[in-house]
Amino acid sequence: MSTSSKPVQQSSSRWRTWHRWLSLVFGVQLVIWSISGAYMVFFELSFIHGDHLVKTNHPSLPNSAQIRPVEHVIRAFPRAREVTLQPTLVGGKWIATYEVFAHRETFLVDAQSLQPVVFTEADIVAIAKRLYAPSDSAPITRATLLEHRAPAEISPSLLPIWQVNFDDFGNSSFYISPTTGELVTKRHSFWRGFDFFWMLHIMDYETREDITNWLLRSFILGTGLLSITGIMLLIFTIGRSRGQGAHS
Amino acid sequence: MMRFAQWLHRWLGLILLLQVVLWLVSGLYFSLQGHHAMSGHQYKQNPTGLVLRQAMPNIGIEEIWRRYPEALSIQLYRIGDTPQYVVELADEDVYLHGHTGQLWHTNAKQAQQLALATYSGPGNILSTSPLTKTKELVGWQGQGYKILFADELNTRIYVDAANGQVLDHRNTPWLLADWAFKLHFMDYSGARSFNHLLIYTAALLALWFTLSGVLLLVQNLRRGDFNPRRQPTILESLQRQHKPIASGCGGGGTCGLCKVKLTEPTVATQAEQLLLTTIEINSGIRLACQHRDHGQTIILLDEHVTHFKLALVAKTKLSEAITKLTFKSEPSCEYSAGQFMQFKIPDGNNVLLRHYSFATKSLTTAPTDTPLLHFLIRHVPAVANVTPAGIGSSYLLGLQVGDTVDAAGPFGNFVATDTNREQVYIAGGVGIAPIHALVESESQRQRHLFHGARSEAELIFADEFKLMPTLDYHPVVDKFVHEEVAHWLNQNPGDYDFYVCGPPAMLAATLQLLADKKIPKSRIRYDDFGI
Repeated sequence: MSTSSKPVQQSSSRWRTWHRWLSLVFGVQLVIWSISGAYMVFFELSFIHGDHLVKTNHPSLPNSAQIRPVEHVIRAFPRAREVTLQPTLVGGKWIATYEVFAHRETFLVDAQSLQPVVFTEADIVAIAKRLYAPSDSAPITRATLLEHRAPAEISPSLLPIWQVNFDDFGNSSFYISPTTGELVTKRHSFWRGFDFFWMLHIMDYETREDITNWLLRSFILGTGLLSITGIMLLIFTIGRSRGQGAHS
Repeated sequence: MMRFAQWLHRWLGLILLLQVVLWLVSGLYFSLQGHHAMSGHQYKQNPTGLVLRQAMPNIGIEEIWRRYPEALSIQLYRIGDTPQYVVELADEDVYLHGHTGQLWHTNAKQAQQLALATYSGPGNILSTSPLTKTKELVGWQGQGYKILFADELNTRIYVDAANGQVLDHRNTPWLLADWAFKLHFMDYSGARSFNHLLIYTAALLALWFTLSGVLLLVQNLRRGDFNPRRQPTILESLQRQHKPIASGCGGGGTCGLCKVKLTEPTVATQAEQLLLTTIEINSGIRLACQHRDHGQTIILLDEHVTHFKLALVAKTKLSEAITKLTFKSEPSCEYSAGQFMQFKIPDGNNVLLRHYSFATKSLTTAPTDTPLLHFLIRHVPAVANVTPAGIGSSYLLGLQVGDTVDAAGPFGNFVATDTNREQVYIAGGVGIAPIHALVESESQRQRHLFHGARSEAELIFADEFKLMPTLDYHPVVDKFVHEEVAHWLNQNPGDYDFYVCGPPAMLAATLQLLADKKIPKSRIRYDDFGI
């Protein structure tokens, strides 16, 4: 009986062993990538952004309004970089206001008196109701002025800000500026889902924005190895085995 | 279920192969670069000091409002040193010069200054060219300028002539990142959309691909494949001990070749339910790759199986593609017609196992003289850069008379039945090898042979078959051999034993035909090339 000095082991079984071990370590993340990726792919980005929740039209400038010249505004606020004459819903009426952007802050003044415009909770709720687009208008469950602590879904740099919550399908929230009465951003369940899956996708579980972390990089490289072993197995199982039978 | 998962995982893997690699490569690129490096904003700054009081407009905001009473809002803004009004209308924005009230226009020189104000890099302006659209700003079109800077990033700044706004900065890293986005999102329009039909499809397939992988992994975990102190499978164990055992798939449970007999009661796995007959399972036959070696008694099925050294004594080209190799074996090899030999093909530091059937009946008539062994080898040429030439066939065909090769065998149960029925042999191409051996060794029962080949020249052994007076020989060229068999069976109904050997498509079609004809499985023997 002659025995071969070389290992009589098919190369396919070696690749199979590596493929199994690598999939045990990196395969779970590959599954997470495919699930989170599919979520982000299947829900339209504009829907995730909540664009469907907001009416885009707003009225033209109130015709009857008497306004102060823009020079007066600029003299009153010498650091102004942009001044916008616009209609604003205050106290149940549309009035003309100047929105002033000056030195990193934006605020509103009455276009007739140049006095600051102050929004009450009722004003904010009225603004939120007017902006809410879905045909079944949903009840507002709560309007809160957030001053010190921002919820995880918005940046703390937006504070202070009004949070207006709707009792609707997606538990929508509008975030409205207390100084300009403008909608700053909006959130709903599918946005929150997207944010969660984005976190899983980029493997930054704290800030959810650092795509350069080493955990992610090492998993990408490991999954690269996993794919190489998988490709080798494909070559063996689909490509070769049909040709390596008893006769060919 | 597991077999379906395995099948699904393989085919999806093949379909998705390229895109998965592209996802990984582009993903790695994003991770190495980070948001900022890919934004094109390396040399972008916000211009400072643009307060309105140094650029009071000559025309008041009331005048603008009088001209556009339907305005939704009117913004006063500063572009460089010039005031600008932006009138928001229901369907468009109108940009007006704050001093003249005319429609705004930025000329090339002004555009350069505006671009410079947003640029913090070391370069000077290299060129300024007008443009109406560019691939680097998807969705923008109109009058504008591209201002190119002489810096190491090839910064270019786009300025809109209709409103004097700096549209964006672009540079070489941005362009590379843009390609990475195209690959990652599968959107080659440049719009960076990841909500479109192509990626829906890919995402769905990828989901099935990874989930089937999870199923297989769970199965591996349950079987204890990851236990570092786990027992090797019987197959691994036999291979390590250099015991002769056939295997085509390397332990994947798909080829069904590594049959052994176990005396202790062992539950048959799903793969065994599919690949073994009920009779085999009941008599204790199992697949060596499916069970752990924990010291149980293992009976190798073919007690004759042993190792041989084969010396090439003749090489005969039978057709363009098929060559007959004749070996002398040491020690002398006895086998049954229809069986095959396992060749050990050296491949680098490895040994590949390839199976070839004996092409003639076993000649044990002259005990003093070592009988010769014949094999048919089909040359598998490389298809220009697509598939490499067959390693096994290339190696064997490269042997010179006198060269030796290691082999083990004989293996297989594609052997003659012991019934009284008439024998029907169905061969395709080089599958004639074991069939020829079977035909040759059958002396009692009536024989019918259907032999399909690509051409007359490839009807190997045809001359010999024609000279056999009791053989009912049906050569089939340019037709499907199973259709000839179907035709013949319609005209000659009866009880037969069937032997089928040939390439996968022919084999599948023939087995399907026999199943359709309600032939009991016990009367059909086939050699499936070890897949």
